[in-house]
Amino acid sequence: MSALQRVTQWQTFARTWHLFDARWQNPFECSSLIAKHLQGRHKPIYHPLNDCGDMVVAINTRHIALASDEWIKRVYFHHTGYPGGATWTLAWELHDKDPTMILKKAVYSAIKNNLQRRTTMQRLFLYPDDKIPDDILANITNQIRSPRPVPTPLPDPASEEFQSFPRIAPFPEDYVLK
Amino acid sequence: MSNSHLFMSAGWVTAPLNNGIGRYSGQLQRVVIKFCKTHGCSRGVREFVESNLIDFSRQNPGVAVYVKPRRHRAPTITAEYCNGERGYMHVSNMSRDEVYKWLSHQTTQSGREFCRYRKFWRTETPSIQGVWSPHTFRDPRLNLAEFPMVSTAPKDWFRFC
Repeated sequence: MSALQRVTQWQTFARTWHLFDARWQNPFECSSLIAKHLQGRHKPIYHPLNDCGDMVVAINTRHIALASDEWIKRVYFHHTGYPGGATWTLAWELHDKDPTMILKKAVYSAIKNNLQRRTTMQRLFLYPDDKIPDDILANITNQIRSPRPVPTPLPDPASEEFQSFPRIAPFPEDYVLK
Repeated sequence: MSNSHLFMSAGWVTAPLNNGIGRYSGQLQRVVIKFCKTHGCSRGVREFVESNLIDFSRQNPGVAVYVKPRRHRAPTITAEYCNGERGYMHVSNMSRDEVYKWLSHQTTQSGREFCRYRKFWRTETPSIQGVWSPHTFRDPRLNLAEFPMVSTAPKDWFRFC
């Protein structure tokens, strides 16, 4: 193998660091997307015996959005192994304890159960907000597009932008604003 | 790949010293034929030695042929190759033609140990346009992008989705 072939192979199997912004994203929808990048299934060279998975850094996991009333309906089960050791934790309780855990469990479920599962999960970095350590931020070279558009919130009523927005008609004189 | 191949070593299609490119040299160096003069299971080998062995040896001058009569032993053929490997096979109860066929088979072998082929072809240039890499088809604007990008970044920047 020549030096060029060797370097070509290094380049082909180089790991890419992807960033994923989880703000306003449904974790159970984007988990398959993250799992795909963690396993390298998005690459044309993918093969189950290849070690071609990428690194994914997920930020803003505190600001994920669950559909409908899943915050109170989704239950996470854990059993310590001892009699009476079963616990059922609601999604909002788990999110209070650890804001990264829901997305982490969703990605874990999206990966097929085999010997590579734990190793693949180690390539996933989760941060509750947009603060990333500098050494990890320096590696990131790509961003995974979020599947859902982030909605723009209404501006603060006291703000300049809200006040200067053109009105169709002024309020009546006797109308009491809250 | 089946389970029976799990413990077989894997390899690529190769020829020793580019054998066959420009010139061909037979890799079989030595053949030892052992047989019994009296037993029935050596009958085909005895007939082969009587009628075909001289022709075989003349056709393959690079092969040293040893014939060893062994009393009351099963007939065998041992082939030794340039790379030091040794092929050994029983030829009991085989007819004359079968012995000739297996000896010709040994003559055409390279002596390399049997292995599972990873591919049934081999090339030094598997791709003319170059193998894929993470930088293939990558938007050069991403080189100067600041991460995390806001969601209003152009959609065509997100190449991997």
